[in-house]
Amino acid sequence: MKSKSNGKDFCIFALPGLFCFVAVVIIPFVYGVYLTLTDWDGVSSVKNFVGLANFVGVGKDSQFWMSLLLTFKYVVFVVVIVNVLAFAIAYLLTRGMKGQNFFRAGFFTPNLIGGIVLGYIWQFVFSRVFVNIGESTGWSLFEVSWLSDPTKAFAALVLVSVWQLSGYMILIYVAGFMGLNEDVMEAASIDGASGWRKMRSIVLPLMMSSVTICLFLTLSRAFMVYDVNLSLTAGAPYGTTEMAAMHVYEKAFTSRQFGLGQAEALILFVIVACISGLQVYLTKKKEVQA
Amino acid sequence: MMRKKVVKSLCLMLILALTSSMLGGCRFGFASDPDDPDEEVKEEPIDTSVDTFEYDDSLEGTSITLLNSKAEIQVALEKMSVEFESRSGIHVEVMPVTDGDSPYTKVVSLYNSGNPPTMAILDTTDVIALAEEKAEDLSAEDWISEAEGYLTEVNGKVYSFPLCIEGRGIIYNKAAIEETLGETFDPKSVRTLGEFEEFLNRLVEAGMEKPLSLAKEDWSLGAHHLQFIYETYDGTSEGAQDVIEKIKAGKMDLASYDRLGEFVDAFDVLKEYNVAKGDPLGADYDEMAIDLADGKTAFWFNGNWAWPNLSEAGANNEDAYGFLPYFMNDDEDDFVNQKIQASPSKQVMIDGQMSSEKEKAAAKEFMNWIVYSEIGQQMLVKTCNIIPPFANNPYEPSDPLSRDIYEKIHADETFNASAIVPNDHWSILGAAMQKYLAGRSDRDELMDSIQQYWEEQK
Repeated sequence: MKSKSNGKDFCIFALPGLFCFVAVVIIPFVYGVYLTLTDWDGVSSVKNFVGLANFVGVGKDSQFWMSLLLTFKYVVFVVVIVNVLAFAIAYLLTRGMKGQNFFRAGFFTPNLIGGIVLGYIWQFVFSRVFVNIGESTGWSLFEVSWLSDPTKAFAALVLVSVWQLSGYMILIYVAGFMGLNEDVMEAASIDGASGWRKMRSIVLPLMMSSVTICLFLTLSRAFMVYDVNLSLTAGAPYGTTEMAAMHVYEKAFTSRQFGLGQAEALILFVIVACISGLQVYLTKKKEVQA
Repeated sequence: MMRKKVVKSLCLMLILALTSSMLGGCRFGFASDPDDPDEEVKEEPIDTSVDTFEYDDSLEGTSITLLNSKAEIQVALEKMSVEFESRSGIHVEVMPVTDGDSPYTKVVSLYNSGNPPTMAILDTTDVIALAEEKAEDLSAEDWISEAEGYLTEVNGKVYSFPLCIEGRGIIYNKAAIEETLGETFDPKSVRTLGEFEEFLNRLVEAGMEKPLSLAKEDWSLGAHHLQFIYETYDGTSEGAQDVIEKIKAGKMDLASYDRLGEFVDAFDVLKEYNVAKGDPLGADYDEMAIDLADGKTAFWFNGNWAWPNLSEAGANNEDAYGFLPYFMNDDEDDFVNQKIQASPSKQVMIDGQMSSEKEKAAAKEFMNWIVYSEIGQQMLVKTCNIIPPFANNPYEPSDPLSRDIYEKIHADETFNASAIVPNDHWSILGAAMQKYLAGRSDRDELMDSIQQYWEEQK
């Protein structure tokens, strides 16, 4: 009797979701893997089977490995800065300071703006506003557009991503701080723990579940960055800021090598899945219950 | 309680104010490309009193789609569609290619979803890529005879309808030059690269510090500049094809290819007098239009598609703008120093794979209407502001840039060559050109990148 109603519940609640998941995630994924074994150009009706030739092609595509390396660099910067910054700000914003709701809303706002729009706004800031500041003050840092120098364009990308992502992470950390048990904090104070000691031994371990979520979100978002990359630099200057996702897109659609692009996407997927999985496993181990 | 409410509403107001001011920010129009759909094109009235075109009544009620990748004529095409429907009963739905999509990506995704547009406006390379597999053979259409010299053939067959002629070269602002030099300017007086450089020097001495604008965009550098090396081989599309085949097959050493060396010489001159020389990769496209219209600069390398930008920057139809050739050497008899490049750029292809016979017939009727009906002819030139490739079209474009090209075509001062290069040529070699423009690579490295690109195409 019980199992029967379970089956019905499954049909009502899980089946529609499962169907959607299979239709928009599993099937395209399997089809994508199949495409890596063909020489399809994206439009022709014949797809010739070429075996693993595309993966050999990926090995030869030095530009892809360079963009992947750049993506790693970008991920390290973004993940560290976003999380440290968001954690610190969230800590300050839960101390009961004046106008903290106002600040929370303010910090969250950039996250409400889509990546493309954000990229264009900042493009204006970097190439017009900064240059004007440079002209009127003579500061060499702002003399030329940040987007025309490879290092500064990369810094610009990191800066904009941090600005966009921090608000969201602040929100999660704020929720984490609000959920901290006041009894435990008070007990710690009575035991003589204060300042840095309290933060390290009490607050951080209790906040680990928020850290897990935030690290996972920033990691996967930073690896898959495309919109800000496209609208802020579009790979400029001369292709030096082209991240992995953008390179994959260019390969598939601009160079019309769908199979090769798909193979690169698959490699990117495996890397991101491994790293995010490892991160979740490691940080979950550190989580404690109050 | 009260205080909390006040804080809350303040927060809400702040968020609203921030988002609206930021969303409003994108209306300033930076980072624009020549295909800005918001740009207004001034329009001339159409005379609809005469229409001798014979409409096919059996097609009435048919509905077809047109994918438009030329954003600046979106509104004009919609007007044409309304006019056409009122006369023929055929409904043409004009679908724009949205920002961020390339026309090719869009048409491919429509094909893959089993819902291709009946007609698609595409670039020549895209048409060639799709022609034999997807497109309807148009070789037997009547308008073929009117568009001689402007047709694109794939293995001896015509699969596309040439929509417009576009040309590129060094745009000059006559008034700005005359004001700076204090004498009348005859564009014909500059005949070679050496003379052009001398002329630029005179402008500098007369007080115009940096007389020329050079776009940093990869499509400009990689396609519009660099493709001159193929197109000037002998000034024909066949010649361009020849030289590309030779380079591809490794039968031509780029280092000893004259046109490449000449091209870099010419580009060096442009680079030297670039208004954004201090930070060439920080140059802003809209600012260049403003600089030229204001007379801060005298020259801008671009094509007649730049008119909407210039007109927005304050230039009028009555102003004197025109093109100088892309000077490449000091031989005044060389055609590159006498003629500017002008060739059909956008092409319309009819889907031959999934559309019904009736839909195909309706699409063909639309094309015939553009070529043969008095109204279609007028709307192509006046509403869309296009230089028509059809010999029977008596109307002349009204903006100075298109008019200059139109006149040069009729005076045999243009060469009709367009190079068909792989689809990523503009983006990959555009990056190499940007590097050279920024002074971060030398001549040899630029040539190496070109050589390497072609080696990878084998």
